[in-house]
Amino acid sequence: MKTELVMNKLSLKLLAGEVPEDFEGVYAGDFLSRAMSRVSEGDLWITIMNNINVIAVASLADAAAVILAEGVTMDKATLDAADAKGVTVFTCDSTVYEICRDIASVLS
Amino acid sequence: MNEFSLYVLDITMNSVRAGATEIEVKLEEKDDMLYFSVTDNGCGMKAEQVKNLKDPFFTTRKTRAVGLGIPFLTMLSEQTGGTVEITSRHEEEYPEEHGTVISASFNKEHIDFIPLGDMTGTVVTLIQGSPEIDFTYKHIMSKGTVSLSCRELKDMLGDEVSLASFEILEWIKEYLEESYESIK
Repeated sequence: MKTELVMNKLSLKLLAGEVPEDFEGVYAGDFLSRAMSRVSEGDLWITIMNNINVIAVASLADAAAVILAEGVTMDKATLDAADAKGVTVFTCDSTVYEICRDIASVLS
Repeated sequence: MNEFSLYVLDITMNSVRAGATEIEVKLEEKDDMLYFSVTDNGCGMKAEQVKNLKDPFFTTRKTRAVGLGIPFLTMLSEQTGGTVEITSRHEEEYPEEHGTVISASFNKEHIDFIPLGDMTGTVVTLIQGSPEIDFTYKHIMSKGTVSLSCRELKDMLGDEVSLASFEILEWIKEYLEESYESIK
């Protein structure tokens, strides 16, 4: 339910995986080694990085979804890997700041 | 991992886990480039494994020991316009001369490159963790070279002295710090 509110508010576009019903928390950051220790199970992870390692980190962390900011997308091979590993990927035209701000407003 | 030294530690630990008895860690700075290599005489890898090293799913799912080390190193290198090369000889195919060489290049002037970090601390950590391994460390810069050979230290001290003793680790730390200071 929460995810749907966020999706509508931010006009998220689904690139891979399935829309998760809910999410636990939110982490924003592009440093993958840092994200690996900070993204918790069920979190939304907002980043502008778009290589295969993002899918690996999201999969290891069991993130609810990855949200790519600033209209960033992924190539087909990376999205196929996301589908295969059950990692949900969205893209959004907003900046990382705008995404965080809008998620906060939806949650409050 | 926001310092390069952490990548050095991470990649070198692969050689430690591969059962190497000799590991050479080399950094060479030349013009805008940084060339990094780790050469070991560990068990080596088969062609199939080498081919898949840059795929994080192969590495994290099937051979956990390798982890995200190579994918992250590759990413950092390619972000700055560098490349990563890995050659390996598996012990089953090369019983005499097995081992792995990982070389990576980086444009250290690139805006996405990260600070070098604490190389002295990294070398001391490696020796402390595996004093039995003969580490060779070389950092070549335009003004001079910092180098350390655990084999030479052991030849001087005698094999019964562990390099992991507090006094020796302190000595190594001071020696490396002074070497770096002297070519600043």
